Amino acid sequence: MGINTIFDIASSGITANRLAIEVTGENISNVNTEGYSRQRVIMENKPVSTANGFALGTGVEIAAVQRSYDNMLQLQLVNANSTYQESLAQQSALEQIEPTFNSLTSDGLGTAVANFFGAFQDLSVNPSGSAERQAVLTRAQIMVDSFHQMDSSLTTVASTADNNLVGITAEVTDNARNLALVNTQILATNSVGGNANELLDQRDLLLRKLSEQVGVTYSIANDGTASVTLAGGAQLVSSTRYATLYTNATGAPATNDIMISGLGNPPPANAPATDTLVGTVGDGATVGGKLGGTMEVRDSIVPKYRAMLDEMADEVVTQVNTLHAAGYALDGSTGTDFFDAAGLTSGSIALDAGLSAVKIAAGFPTATDPAPTSSGNNENALKIANLGSTSFAFSTGNATFGNFYNSLVSQVGVDTEGTQNVTTQNAAFLKQLNALRASNSEVSLDEELLNLTRYQRAFQGSAKVVNAATDMLDIVLGMVR
Amino acid sequence: MRITPGMTAENAIYNLQLGRSAIDQLQEQIASGYNINRPSDDPLTTRQLLDLQDQIDSGEQYSSNITKAETLLNVTNTALTSMADLMQQVKKIAGDMVTGTLDASSISSAVSNLTQLKSQLVDMGNTRLGDQYVFAGYKTSQPFDAAGAFSGTTDLLSVEIAPDSNVATTVSGGDLLRGGKPPAAVGSGATAGQGPIDILGSIDALIAAITAKDSAAITDGVKNVKAGADQITVAQSDVAGRLLRLDNMKSMIVSNQNTLKTVFGDIQNVDYAKAGVMLSQQTTAFNAALSATSKLSQLSLLDYMK
Repeated sequence: MGINTIFDIASSGITANRLAIEVTGENISNVNTEGYSRQRVIMENKPVSTANGFALGTGVEIAAVQRSYDNMLQLQLVNANSTYQESLAQQSALEQIEPTFNSLTSDGLGTAVANFFGAFQDLSVNPSGSAERQAVLTRAQIMVDSFHQMDSSLTTVASTADNNLVGITAEVTDNARNLALVNTQILATNSVGGNANELLDQRDLLLRKLSEQVGVTYSIANDGTASVTLAGGAQLVSSTRYATLYTNATGAPATNDIMISGLGNPPPANAPATDTLVGTVGDGATVGGKLGGTMEVRDSIVPKYRAMLDEMADEVVTQVNTLHAAGYALDGSTGTDFFDAAGLTSGSIALDAGLSAVKIAAGFPTATDPAPTSSGNNENALKIANLGSTSFAFSTGNATFGNFYNSLVSQVGVDTEGTQNVTTQNAAFLKQLNALRASNSEVSLDEELLNLTRYQRAFQGSAKVVNAATDMLDIVLGMVR
Repeated sequence: MRITPGMTAENAIYNLQLGRSAIDQLQEQIASGYNINRPSDDPLTTRQLLDLQDQIDSGEQYSSNITKAETLLNVTNTALTSMADLMQQVKKIAGDMVTGTLDASSISSAVSNLTQLKSQLVDMGNTRLGDQYVFAGYKTSQPFDAAGAFSGTTDLLSVEIAPDSNVATTVSGGDLLRGGKPPAAVGSGATAGQGPIDILGSIDALIAAITAKDSAAITDGVKNVKAGADQITVAQSDVAGRLLRLDNMKSMIVSNQNTLKTVFGDIQNVDYAKAGVMLSQQTTAFNAALSATSKLSQLSLLDYMK
């Protein structure tokens, strides 16, 4: 045991603390890096020697550079991300739909229907009046236009959702490719015995990003690589291999199915005929994430409202046509339809091609007017006007046209409010999880600054020990001179 | 719990966002004047508001119907009043013929007077409003020709003044002046003066009787025209009754509309005082949050290290 041992101990201190300062520097530099987990230096004292007759360590060594992370939190974050993005996709679609149904601030379909039947009231007061007849035609056209307008805004929302699927699947594939790449790098680093902390951070970040887009389950192998399975069971990433998630338009009108290719690096070319189907119309809830939410918008939210609009259009056309065909027009003709009998949906409702102001059947046979050629007969106009306040059997129960439409508006309101609440709750939950993750993994500058000072002082101390040893050597050498 | 500056920043952003959206909502309410600006603000109240609006709108449609019906009935009433005056003259001339001497000059003057009065009655029967003949039923052509033949229908046009409640807006000219379609038989002897009376036919018969100096037929004619005058008076009081009903319905609708609009306003109109107080509360809170955030985000150990 000689003075040289002091040099050894001091130099181990200098090395260890220099490394600790490097790690601290790395932490400080990455204070704003997304997904970065702070790293801690674990120091250990070197093997003990008993050369002096008692046990004393031989300096310090770096046992490990650990990253602070929590597997449980990562798992919860992955699930919460999927749920949040799913409801967010629905919320933004509903917020696009809602203005179309906002009868509170502007006149919509409800007013158009009321005005249509109101025009028949006016006609009943003066059944032969050409102004009143023209008003009926105009009001009917406005109502038809309102139906078309609402139908087309719903169609736009659905087709936008369908188009978005293409971009989302491309993003998923992109993240899958990056994850496979990171997996490859992790394996390479491990094979040379390196520390893959930063790569593991990237791996976890990519997993969280994937979970935003689609519902996933993942597993981490012993070698640190991640494998990802989609909600339906299809494998997206397996160690260094990944699959392409893509859309395939089928059916008429064409809607995108979600398909997944085989695994590989790069994966085999897309073969829609043989590849696995991940999700088709109606599978949104299973698929999950932004992808699933977007599918639900296309497959259930929009069709639900469209079905109600169609039901209303069907009832208006059927009821008005039945009465109108039984009535007599100004020119004595009877049996004519008011609306095109083939247009029974909100998208296809139209006035009958043969309808003109003269052809509006305001008259209805009475005992004294058996085949109304009298242009003053208003019986049928009264009957049609009366439809406006009559209840019909709708799928939601008996209601007048006005009430049915009001309940549709209120349904849209309930759904929008509900999704907003769910999204807010999911966001709050996600925020809490992120706060927990941040608390565990995020860099705190104050803390790192204190560490920096600590390691700097230790570095200075070790250097001082070298000074002391040098002085000691000088003294020893001076003794023999 | 370990707190990092990143968490503080995230929290600050989240809470500032909450404050902003609360202020934004208040701003929207104050600027639009409405409590509920879209269905999702309050779906159930939205439903209620839309139903109220529907009721208000249908009330407006009904009062517009009533106004039109009143116009028609008022025109009818005017015509009926003139007819009643004409019938008074017919009655007087007929009465004179019963008691007076039937010399040639008085006969010819009575006949010419009655002919004139009859054609005036026919003119009244052809009264119209715009292109609508008020006594023509479902016909839109002139209901009485010069001879008094009725070509209209005896139907009454009706208008809806409340859900499932109709009011007739016309009087049948055939029933009024001809006792029906085809015309009722002109009463004589025992049946004289029994309704329904063919007024125009009775005047014709009266003219014939006067010309023929048939005193029995003249007496029958007097009875007939008296009953005919009553028939017109009955029609007048019928129209007056309908006008009264319309008037009652109208004032009911007006008071109903007032109530509905008040309820609608109570729900939908922003209480500016309340909104103002809430806005100032929120603004104060938001200001505090902003100031706290700006102070806290500046804190760092770096400021105290050399």
